[in-house]
Amino acid sequence: MVTGKISATHAFLLGLVLAIAGFITWSATQASTTLNNLVVVAPTAIIIGLLSIGIVAKTLLKPATEPSSSSTDKSSIWSDILLLAGFSAFCFALTNVGFDVATFVFVWVGVLMCGSKGKWQPPLYALVFTVFLVKGFGSLFPYPMTTLVL
Amino acid sequence: MIDQFALSQAFTLLFTDLSPWLWVIPGLLIGLIFGSIPGLQISMAMAVFLPVTFGMDFLQAMLFLTAIFTGGAYGGGVTAILMNIPGSSSSIATAFDGYPMARKGQHNEALGLGLCASVVGAFVGYSLLMLLINPLAAFVLKIGPLEMVVVVLWGLTLIATLNDSSMAKGLMAGFLGLMLSQIGMSTTGIMRTTIGNPYLLDGIPVVPAMIGIFAASELLRLRGSSFLVQNEAQRNISFALILKGVGQTFRHPGTLLRGSLIGAVIGAIPGVGSSVANLVSYGEAKRTSKTPEAFGKGAPEGVVAAESANSSSEGGSMTALLALGIPGGAATAVLLAAFSFHNIIGGPSFIRDQTDIVYSIILGNLGQVVLLAFLGLLSLRLLGMVVRVPLAYLVPSVLAMCAWGGYGITGTIAGPLTVAAFAGLGWLMRQNNYPVAATVIGLLLGRMMEGEVVRTLQVSGGRPFEYMMERPIALALFIIMLLVLIGAPALKAFRSRRASHEPN
Repeated sequence: MVTGKISATHAFLLGLVLAIAGFITWSATQASTTLNNLVVVAPTAIIIGLLSIGIVAKTLLKPATEPSSSSTDKSSIWSDILLLAGFSAFCFALTNVGFDVATFVFVWVGVLMCGSKGKWQPPLYALVFTVFLVKGFGSLFPYPMTTLVL
Repeated sequence: MIDQFALSQAFTLLFTDLSPWLWVIPGLLIGLIFGSIPGLQISMAMAVFLPVTFGMDFLQAMLFLTAIFTGGAYGGGVTAILMNIPGSSSSIATAFDGYPMARKGQHNEALGLGLCASVVGAFVGYSLLMLLINPLAAFVLKIGPLEMVVVVLWGLTLIATLNDSSMAKGLMAGFLGLMLSQIGMSTTGIMRTTIGNPYLLDGIPVVPAMIGIFAASELLRLRGSSFLVQNEAQRNISFALILKGVGQTFRHPGTLLRGSLIGAVIGAIPGVGSSVANLVSYGEAKRTSKTPEAFGKGAPEGVVAAESANSSSEGGSMTALLALGIPGGAATAVLLAAFSFHNIIGGPSFIRDQTDIVYSIILGNLGQVVLLAFLGLLSLRLLGMVVRVPLAYLVPSVLAMCAWGGYGITGTIAGPLTVAAFAGLGWLMRQNNYPVAATVIGLLLGRMMEGEVVRTLQVSGGRPFEYMMERPIALALFIIMLLVLIGAPALKAFRSRRASHEPN
């Protein structure tokens, strides 16, 4: 019988969860080993470790299914990752570049990445949306907001 | 239970002239707007508009601020249904079934269900407050850390039932949330995992994390589609279908009533409130449903359970404020500030000496609920238009609003970066069929859980089980929880096994 494999994204997720759990546990035990400090961290870390083993074992032992990662799926995953990277850069640029310029650029590029074919509609929409956000949404913020142009 | 004379005075105060009602509709609209925009919170709206109440009399100010509260609680549910963005932690469970309904083209029905359940829930919550304010206040005073542990534990048990593919994945997602909640300064003042970053001192900001993991991660996956609702014929905003949804709510009277009662009781507990109430109510609705497998895939019962509980918890949260002068959350803290502006101190003396004002506030809120029903119906046509916007434009726009919302909550770069980090985590989890909702629940309740467990250990001198024997409310809650969690499924399994063995 051919058994299953762990996909790259699943392996990455499990590795990330274990790394986060390991680091938080290490950090908490370094800070203090009293019961009050570890009352949630320690049991949670143990359970995460056991669940990881269980999930990996279950995935590896169960019969393999039809391979689903066609080239379309792979390109879709990479497009999602590209949009996520763009979104992360946008989040970073909000306070470092300016809310107005960062939003305008992200919405314009985002509309194109999401499949819009128009030439003038995306930048026009991005402009109107940015002005609406800065003058509308932004005016309700109780905090100062960095802008470059507006 | 009701002081008849004070009640008649309350009617006189409210209905002899229209001045107390003048600010109710603006308040409801402000609440709806703030509640339906990710990152703008109800408490923020109430704080922003608090100075406006300086020139009002006390009753007018109370009705205006509570109208924002009522409108905001409902507004959060609308975005949870249409865009999978819970406006606040009290609408998390609304998204579980409301959004799948919207994706199936049942957005009109889901919005109608949400509105009706909210209205009924809020009505039940305030009616109970009216009848039981004194006994509820006495109950709240008896709530200690151990009782809170049991209630939070009840909310956490929902994690086990949220699994898209396997229970192990649901538990893993929930425990990841619990682990992430431990970042930052502990209840006892110990620094953990701050990696020298001052933004992490208070831990991970929950609302930006929730926006990222729920909304932003889903938007990334929607990128390839053309519209939120694929079938063009189903994209219409139909008043008749919204009303059909309103009618559907009453097909689940048990869920509606149970959700309203759970919300009112849990909402009365300071510090727990609507964020736990909607989860407990949803969990109970799923456990007791004849079709639990439909939950998470667009079950109307799920929307009814969540919305009725979060709306009725509003009435519950007013109990502690009016009867004890204790704010149960950020929104009621702003109301307490309005009390002090008008030289009024909440608590037993307020109820004893100014019963007519207390009844006026409660009756005014009941009136607001009726107004919300009309205003909600009118605004749903506008809010529902979101399903007609092409996703190529909707996805980047809502992503941008998510990042802005993160900033609106924290006021620093930490908010948008949290949204981005959790968007990535949520995308990875969704790719591999892990329920992101379980992580949010763990994150939301983990810090609360730790604080209450530590306080219980300190109060009990390290003997929590012996201490429980001295706490009848905690013991009763614990036994009920065990009966509901273990007893009910065991009985169900026993009955089905016996039925399968019986000859036809």
